[in-house]
Amino acid sequence: MADGFPVAFLFFAGAALLCILPKGNARALLLLAIPVIAGYIIWLLPEGNLWSTSIFELNLELMRVDRLSRIFALVFALAAFLGNLYAWHMRDMVQQVGTLLYAGSAIGAVFAGDLVTLFLYWEGTAIASVFLIWARRTEGAYHTGMRYLIVQIGSGVLLLAGTVLLWRETGSLVFESMTLGSLATWLIFIAFGIKCAFPLLHNWLQDAYPAATITGTVILSAFTTKLAVYALARGFAGTELLIYIGAVMALFPIFYAVIENDLRRVLVYSLNNQLGFMVVGIGVGTELALNGTVTHAFVHILYKALLLMSIGAVMFRTGTAKCSELGGLYKTMPLTMIFCVVGAASISAFPLFSGFVSKSLILSASVDEGYYIVWAMLLFASAGALLYSGIKIPYFAFFAQDSGLRPKEAPWNMLLAMGIAAFLSIAIGVYPAPLYAMLPYELDYVLYTTPHVVTQLQLLFFSALAFTVLQRTGIYPQGLRSINLDTDWTYRRLLPKIISAVGKPAARLWDAIVQFSLRRINNIISGLYRTHGPEGPIAKAWPTGSMVLWIAILLAATLLVSFIDLM
Amino acid sequence: MNDKKIVDDAENLPWLGRKLLWLDKKKNVDRIVYGLYFACAILFAADFMYKKYVLVAVESIPGFYGLYGFFMAIVLVLCAKVMRVFLMRPEDYYAPNDVESEDYPEDQLERLDNNG
Amino acid sequence: MFSGPLTFAGLGPHFPILQVVIPLIAAPLAVFIGVTSIAFLLAFAASIASLIISYSLLMQVIDGSIISYHIGGWAPPWGIEYRVDAANAFVLLIISAISTVVLPYAKTSIEREIRASAHTLFYACYLLCFTGLLGMVITGDAFNVFVFLEISSLSTYVLVALGAERDKRALTAAFNYLIMGTIGATFFVIGLGLLYMMTGTLNMADLGERLPALSDNRTVQTAFGFIVVGMGLKLAIYPLHLWLPNAYTYAPSAVTAFLAATATKAAIYVLMRFMFSVFAPDFTAATGALNLIILPFAVIAMFAASIIAVFQADLKKTLAYSSIAQIGYMLLGIGYFSHSGITATMIHLFNHAVTKAALFMAVGAIIYQTGTSFIPKLAGLGKQMPWTSAAIVASGLSLIGIPGTAGFISKWVLINGAFEKGWWWMAMLIVASSLIAVIYVWQVVETLYLKKPVGDVVVKEAPLSLLIPTWILVFASIYFGLDTELTLSSARAAADALLGAAPLAAGAGS
Repeated sequence: MADGFPVAFLFFAGAALLCILPKGNARALLLLAIPVIAGYIIWLLPEGNLWSTSIFELNLELMRVDRLSRIFALVFALAAFLGNLYAWHMRDMVQQVGTLLYAGSAIGAVFAGDLVTLFLYWEGTAIASVFLIWARRTEGAYHTGMRYLIVQIGSGVLLLAGTVLLWRETGSLVFESMTLGSLATWLIFIAFGIKCAFPLLHNWLQDAYPAATITGTVILSAFTTKLAVYALARGFAGTELLIYIGAVMALFPIFYAVIENDLRRVLVYSLNNQLGFMVVGIGVGTELALNGTVTHAFVHILYKALLLMSIGAVMFRTGTAKCSELGGLYKTMPLTMIFCVVGAASISAFPLFSGFVSKSLILSASVDEGYYIVWAMLLFASAGALLYSGIKIPYFAFFAQDSGLRPKEAPWNMLLAMGIAAFLSIAIGVYPAPLYAMLPYELDYVLYTTPHVVTQLQLLFFSALAFTVLQRTGIYPQGLRSINLDTDWTYRRLLPKIISAVGKPAARLWDAIVQFSLRRINNIISGLYRTHGPEGPIAKAWPTGSMVLWIAILLAATLLVSFIDLM
Repeated sequence: MNDKKIVDDAENLPWLGRKLLWLDKKKNVDRIVYGLYFACAILFAADFMYKKYVLVAVESIPGFYGLYGFFMAIVLVLCAKVMRVFLMRPEDYYAPNDVESEDYPEDQLERLDNNG
Repeated sequence: MFSGPLTFAGLGPHFPILQVVIPLIAAPLAVFIGVTSIAFLLAFAASIASLIISYSLLMQVIDGSIISYHIGGWAPPWGIEYRVDAANAFVLLIISAISTVVLPYAKTSIEREIRASAHTLFYACYLLCFTGLLGMVITGDAFNVFVFLEISSLSTYVLVALGAERDKRALTAAFNYLIMGTIGATFFVIGLGLLYMMTGTLNMADLGERLPALSDNRTVQTAFGFIVVGMGLKLAIYPLHLWLPNAYTYAPSAVTAFLAATATKAAIYVLMRFMFSVFAPDFTAATGALNLIILPFAVIAMFAASIIAVFQADLKKTLAYSSIAQIGYMLLGIGYFSHSGITATMIHLFNHAVTKAALFMAVGAIIYQTGTSFIPKLAGLGKQMPWTSAAIVASGLSLIGIPGTAGFISKWVLINGAFEKGWWWMAMLIVASSLIAVIYVWQVVETLYLKKPVGDVVVKEAPLSLLIPTWILVFASIYFGLDTELTLSSARAAADALLGAAPLAAGAGS
């Protein structure tokens, strides 16, 4: 029993402990210690259902450990460690507690063996993470956080509804592989899809993540979406629909990323595009493809965090992450620049960097299964990835035209966190065998072959060439202070417009109804007060006579019903 | 954005930054670009050097990956430019106090200027 | 018959009688000795002994067995029999556990509410009341129930009247209660007399065997009516609740806490015992009293009493009316006339006892420090009495039935019972009435935490001797919301015991 104690509770206990520790380094140290301990425990966990409990005759499996859940939990612990190291300087208790609860919920969800536990942690991630957005403490962040929370809770509600329906259909709550078909499975599928930012359900991601605090965005980027990837891999592996969803998902965000001005939002669009690769892998569903998805999730968490950390460091020193305001920082923030380039090389899948290790698996798997169109789309997305994040991010932040900003290098803790992430990204790229060994399935794959390397380099260098040509001819879109409309337009603009168009007459009617009902309700309340209030006849407790009268009435009634019933 | 070119005092820069100062010269940047052209040429040539295992028919086109990458990149950027016409809006489009238009709270930053 | 570490060698078989006799003997001793502190120790010791006894009794009968104890060796039906099964052992445990927690609280609490010379009298009356409640629950003899009912009632009148030190209205309240209680007891004894007339026996088990043959008999039906109304008055079934609000409000705080948690619970137990063991379940169902009397008035109580509670200005009165509403839930469980309904009643008996005692004790702590429970005067106390206020909030949540508290378990079981019968509308009524509880609890929370204090009187936190017992019950009301092992299994066993082996005919009540 003690072996399988839910790791998530360690984080929750840590969050409680944090509140009583003195402010300062003690708390920061605790924030580092907990992911390390958790990682160590997860590493040593045996496989199996280790910890179950029951509430109201529902059997809950809190610790289902297998190779799939273990690797996700491990990388979550690693991400929590890096994020907390990056945030060592931060003294905001709201974010610290939020981070622990968030990471704990994500790890708990990964180990959830049944849908009810999954739902609880699913909502836990939603509620804990919104504080990382609200912690920015501006009006805009508040509203964005609200929108984020509504979407996330909505996803949880769908999951719950699906769970209940599934339970009534099958009588089982076990979270295992499902087939789309019934309403229940569709609801669960959509719940996962929202968190995974499927096309048209994606916009909460681009809306919310760039609104979080500098450290908060790094934390956010690791958990929610990858939890959804895990859930899809567990529940819907091999669902063909996912291949097409994933392909579209890998493509459309890159167009936005090219024209987006806010570099953190560029990175979030790229996050969405990378999720597309993972979703394709899940949809293909072969062992190779699932291994590819898991590897990609693993390395993606690292290099995405690395990129967001480097841009976060720039923001920490300059107050902005916008293309239009930045440029020329390489001289004063050279280390940050180098780490950023490592992250960019990883996401672009340069050979010897971590992205290459995983994208190759997914591309190979899709060709193996004969999805050529999808393969071509993914190839396009890979070329695009170089263009909008591999080059755009470092180029516009650190080079391009001189912004005149001369910020100091990032603080040591940020550099250290970026350094570790950069080191891991390269290490995995150079020597992927240990990571491959942890994958859910046996992997027999030779990564570094001449055709592989040459074709990948061709793709990347010619895309870079295209960028150079476009940049030198001035065609490449420059950073402009602007935003771009996305699906959020429908609910931030269209919907309010419709509402106000329909609403004006409706509002007048509504007002009348409300006025009328308020008057009614007031009457009812004052009526209740007259009768039930302290002076009212029903609440009067003094007259002995009335009590006796009631006794007589009740006795008569009781006798009456007894007699009549028998006649 | 600044009309006047800032001349950096090498003394104030970190060691690594001083080493990177040569990027300031346009001539050196051009050198890098030429290097890129050269690398592309080599890679294109490399396509003839090894035996291909063609899984998809298009792969047999010489330099397929390079050409695909180049043209798709151009298509991507041109499409995106067209999208801008339709989709670009000012930062305070949705609300006067959107996260885009408002400043990042100063108390959560640590601005340090290297130029003193 | 009984073994275990708690055994006082040889006393084990006599536990049923000791349960009643120990506090009964302690009561006059407390008066004779006449020293307050010794009287307290005596009462406390008697209470602890009762708790141990009732716990070991429950452990013996939870498997469904029955202990039958013949007083003086006279075999029933001629002699008086004490008969312990899971149902009354569970209620005995509630009563003695609450008493054991309330007594140390009472010691401090009465210092400021009752004059010192009356303290030994207080303990004596308290012990008598305690004896009476235990006795009416444990006995297997119908007339004996009446005797113990009178013992507990008479001592309760005195206990309520002791509140006159703080508020003279306590005397009127006690007088009203006396009249009402006496009428109730008289009705009860009239019912018993009619039964005796028809069967010639007063032993409950014996009655249970003889009455089915007489189920068409008008006299028996009349007896049923008298007994239900008489006991209904003691347990404050809705229109017969009129004695309760004032008695609870003006009695000393410790007395209120004890009575609210135990007195009505014992009466509910007796009512169920008569309805399901003495009169056969089929008979009870056939009279229509469940559907036409108990159920409607239970629902009315849930709403009307809750609404009255919302409008009260005195916190103790709010809680008193809330008690009447909660009794509505218990009667609702009886009205279901199903195993799960009885289970719900039994578990709510326990959970509500714990919750309401905690609330009344917290209010008592406020009275101890401020001298008032008038809600507007409690403004801003959240800062000045943080622990007391937190206790009110925590047990208030349990009163509403928030998940994670004992109150939630009760409502969950109750709603499940409604669904079992297909009464989804009843489930909605339960939820709707709980929302009214949200209103009156929120009013208190708002006053305590969100309003500015009136005047600049500095109020200190209550002493630990008040806080610790209160918080024991607060923790209990949370603990039993999370770990339902003891309460649910006991309540199920109790329902088994009450309904006997005979399963209910399907749909008999509907």
